[in-house]
Amino acid sequence: MPEYISKNVADTTKVATELAKKLTGGELVALSGNLGAGKTVFVKALAESLGVKDVITSPTFVLMKVYVPDNKKINKFVHVDCYRLEGQEDLSDIGLGDYLNDDKIIVVVEWADKVLNLPAKTIRVNIDYRGGDKRHIVID
Amino acid sequence: MRILAIESSCDETAIALLEAKGQSLNLLKNQVYSQISIHKKYGGVVPEVAARKHLETIIPLLGSILGKDKLKNIDYLAVTAGPGLVTSLLLGLTAAKTLAYANKLPLVAVNHLEGHVYSNWLTSSDLVKNPKKFLPALVLIVSGGHTELVLMKGHGQYQSIGRTLDDAAGEAYDKVAKLLSLGYPGGPIVSKWADKGNTKAYDFPKPMLTSPNFDFSFSGLKTAVLYTLEKKKNINKKDIADICASFQAAVVEVLTTKAMIAAKKYQVKSIMLAGGVAANKALQQSLLQKSKSQNLPFFYPAANYTGDNAAMIAVAAYYNVVAKSGRIIKNKDILTLEPEANWQLSKNKI
Ligand SMILES: Nc1ncnc2c1ncn2[C@@H]1O[C@H](COP(=O)(O)OP(=O)(O)O)[C@@H](O)[C@H]1O
Ligand SMILES: [Mg+2]
Repeated sequence: MPEYISKNVADTTKVATELAKKLTGGELVALSGNLGAGKTVFVKALAESLGVKDVITSPTFVLMKVYVPDNKKINKFVHVDCYRLEGQEDLSDIGLGDYLNDDKIIVVVEWADKVLNLPAKTIRVNIDYRGGDKRHIVID
Repeated sequence: MRILAIESSCDETAIALLEAKGQSLNLLKNQVYSQISIHKKYGGVVPEVAARKHLETIIPLLGSILGKDKLKNIDYLAVTAGPGLVTSLLLGLTAAKTLAYANKLPLVAVNHLEGHVYSNWLTSSDLVKNPKKFLPALVLIVSGGHTELVLMKGHGQYQSIGRTLDDAAGEAYDKVAKLLSLGYPGGPIVSKWADKGNTKAYDFPKPMLTSPNFDFSFSGLKTAVLYTLEKKKNINKKDIADICASFQAAVVEVLTTKAMIAAKKYQVKSIMLAGGVAANKALQQSLLQKSKSQNLPFFYPAANYTGDNAAMIAVAAYYNVVAKSGRIIKNKDILTLEPEANWQLSKNKI
């Protein structure tokens, strides 16, 4: 269970880039951590190193945004944000069924704790606020 | 020409009936059923609940708008096809597709953001009578899901010149309201508190204010509020008012400054505000004052057209038809129309 202390956005970006290198497709990355912890910052870095050229913007309002990365193995990068959910739904209820368990697709979920029945092999990333710009990141 | 429009991209179910002729827009019917009171208790929109509510509301709403004439005098159907929540969009789209196909009417698939832009045409008869006088216009679209500067060159001609790189301005309001436990929706609540506070009490960052482009960033502002709260042991009402006032001042300054620089650079003939956050008085006042000093006409939608509504979708559809610019779909093609959750205003238009 790797743990990191991040002192700034660059550190968080480095951790995300490292994780991106290990992804092969078909994974679900579930992020948790409070408002402003840096989940979207993490996803931006993850997407960029997977070859997403578009600017990743917060999907809070529309729940999910789908990007097409410049990547030989992965043809879709799906960014989900469950901030507005109340823990009553699972990923297929919000229209994610088609994207799960496809080895050409990477799905990343912010506020993953608000959604039910995540697959067992989910990669969990928790970001904790530690005062100022300091963050504690645990990947599992 | 009579247009029946349906809007269901988020948490309002709305239907409107517009009669448009040359240079006159006559809104015959306009109804909005808002789900805000339902979503309030969740602190946000719950997609499943929203979709179910749209389903329950849409048929009775249609019945009450159309009455016994049904679709007899309707020439076009219009529907919001995106951007928005897929599950919500689907309900309006299905209703519109069914009505259009079964009654052999053409269907206009409208971009929700374009609808917001045209809420200004619902408000100002000057725009309707003489659009050339005010175009090109610089449009600032601000809502819960969008923050974008758009150059509108003519009906249906848009060029995106800058946008948020992370959170939308309306989203920042919602999240600050959440950090302060003020409730949902955050925009009106935060600006109400802001009225009672000191805008200079906190020196919050004004993200990207001096960047040499027209992009925005609001996620850092949310974090700045978070840090401020973490440092304080307990907060009283004055603190809340001051935080809200200082936060709002930062948002308004960044939006106004960038809009004015863009207006100058692109030599526009007017400035327009659109989207849910267009209801924000501080933003209206700031833009009004700045555009006055540059002798530029400034338009913002009347309060009842800032939120999601179908009247603006009908007006956008009308100009799509007039300018032959939009997506006007007929016969069997109607059945293949799908929601486009991330439909960008300018990609499809220029
Ligand atoms: N060490 C850090 N790691 C990530 N973000 C940081 C860090 N220090 C400061 N920040 C700031 O915190 C904010 C995180 O915002 P965001 O990623 O939108 O949070 P979330 O998505 O978790 O709500 C950004 O403005 C970022 O610049
Ligand atoms: Mg986020």
